Amino acid sequence: MKRLLPILACAALALITGCGPSESKPGTSAPGGPAPAGKKLSIALLPKSKGNQYFVNVKKGADKAAAELGIELIFDGPTNTDPAKQNEIVENWITLGVDVIAAACENRDGIATALKKAQAKGIKVLTYDSDTTPDARSFFVNQATAQGIGYTLMDTAAKLCGEEGEFAIITATLTAANMNEWRKNIEARLKEKYPKMKLVDTKPCDDQKDKAQQETANLLGAYPNLKCVMAICSPAVPGAAEAVKQAGKAGKVKVLGLGLPNENKAYVKSGVTQAVILWKVEDLGYLTLHAAAALAKGELKPGATSYKAGPLGELKIEGTDILLGQPFVFTKDNIEQFDF
Amino acid sequence: MILAAFLVAEFILFSATGRNFLQPDNLTNIVRHSTEIGLLALVMMPVILTGGIDLSVGSLLGLCAVLFGKMVQDAGLSPGAAAAVTLLVGGIAGGFNALLITRLRLPPLIVTLGTFSLFRGLAEAITKGTATYSKFPDSFLALGSATFLGLPTQAWVFVAVAGVIWILVHRTTFGRSWRAIGFSPEGARYAGLPVERRLAFAYVMAGVVAALAAIILTARVTQARADAGTGYELLAITAVVLGGTSIFGGTGSVHGTLLGVAAIAVLTNGLSRIPSIMGVSRELSGVLTGALLIAALAGGVLMKFLSERRARRQTSATPSTPSNA
Repeated sequence: MKRLLPILACAALALITGCGPSESKPGTSAPGGPAPAGKKLSIALLPKSKGNQYFVNVKKGADKAAAELGIELIFDGPTNTDPAKQNEIVENWITLGVDVIAAACENRDGIATALKKAQAKGIKVLTYDSDTTPDARSFFVNQATAQGIGYTLMDTAAKLCGEEGEFAIITATLTAANMNEWRKNIEARLKEKYPKMKLVDTKPCDDQKDKAQQETANLLGAYPNLKCVMAICSPAVPGAAEAVKQAGKAGKVKVLGLGLPNENKAYVKSGVTQAVILWKVEDLGYLTLHAAAALAKGELKPGATSYKAGPLGELKIEGTDILLGQPFVFTKDNIEQFDF
Repeated sequence: MILAAFLVAEFILFSATGRNFLQPDNLTNIVRHSTEIGLLALVMMPVILTGGIDLSVGSLLGLCAVLFGKMVQDAGLSPGAAAAVTLLVGGIAGGFNALLITRLRLPPLIVTLGTFSLFRGLAEAITKGTATYSKFPDSFLALGSATFLGLPTQAWVFVAVAGVIWILVHRTTFGRSWRAIGFSPEGARYAGLPVERRLAFAYVMAGVVAALAAIILTARVTQARADAGTGYELLAITAVVLGGTSIFGGTGSVHGTLLGVAAIAVLTNGLSRIPSIMGVSRELSGVLTGALLIAALAGGVLMKFLSERRARRQTSATPSTPSNA
């Protein structure tokens, strides 16, 4: 018995590692090849992390599209922060023989290799939520452009203030590239449409709720005529609301910002925060799967300038970005319906 | 033995129910995806054999990956030179563990729990939690994605390390002294064994191989991040214990560890290919690995109990049945 063990171990190892190309059976179909007619399309959806409520909502939308279109949806993702996991999952999907992989990329560069490997095997690849390098995918389902976010923030603020008066911005840092892009668009919209409104100050909060609260309190002291605080990083929205509430100015000084509905529900319902801006995450999942199916069937081709995504209607494609459309404004009237 | 049967059963089950399980590309995947944890398990085995434990290897893997990435990308070192420095750093880190364990006589669990945080903290400090390194030459990335003589490149490294450690444990005085230390450190010392030096060797080896695993992981994922290898130490320990090495030290085999690694790797991969459970396969493989580990340990205790009872009965029966051997 004892003697047999090392031999068995070696045999098992040889069985696992011994995988020369000669072993492939001629009968099995090549993975990732075009799906034969009548066979269900198999689409794999990769979230950044599986338990995250945001991606649970993405899946909800994707499930809906899968049911409508008769698609086999495989939803799997890392459960911890192991950076190797996304690559491993994609590599497993390649040999599983899926038709399309749709990925929200945790590592822009790291996952590109795995996605390119999938493309080389004939699997269609698109990304959503967070992009990879452009050469590793056909399309990126873009949930919101900088212009969409900037304009929606400014338009909503103007509506809340009656299109006149002073407002201030709380940002994460003064160097964050994406937020500077949003600020540029906010200011462009301000100049173009709202001459009676004035941006009096922009303060960084280092992506911390406490600091956002403190900065907002300072702003309220420094600018007694302030009508609105606009928080453009997600921890700042509840932070600004708390400061306004503690100053006893709830309702008098409006609060709006870019953030998750769940983090702001209490303030929205009590009337401190008037508007939270984001996109409908379920729609993002629905669109991603819809576009993935069209890509596999050859209905969506590189170079297209628009795409009709069922009930979401005709959506614009800019370059290789499929645009989900204008961000959604969550208010007291609708925030209860969303859970992310 | 039971584990080998389990592995064979896995192969039969998954080739029947899993989608494209036996496809060569998938078997290559299994090997590639388990190389790093396999390497850690191989060096964890001698450490556990001495009655010790090394919780820091996963964190050290992260630290080494980041150092390697920084040296190649920021300092412009060639991957070869950077790899040499990384292995050296791994050895020094392992030596640091060994120093605390052998000189200060601190328990390995506490020492490596400390360096578990220390190494990961250093990795995060170097990257400030955000920097990642991804500019590596293709010739280096081949280590993670190319094949050599029909096998994935990293499999050759793995086979070499496994061979060296098998010989060390089963064919040299190192293995014998590790076992002796695991049985009784005091006894080993009275028997004149260089206990400190033998212990230090096991921890330094763990450090060097953790660095090697870091380099291979970086080549496979094509990116080095501070959180690389998170939780790998526990997966390695699981494979070692599943492979029959006693957590109290003294007994165990390298081939058992290899079987442990293979059983877990095949289980994780196979479950993710069965259509009906695809979505929850990762959670399910965790549950099954845990159940398997407990069953293996409980089974071992039960077998020992049964064989002892049989032995007792035999000794009491010997006088009436004279042996004719």
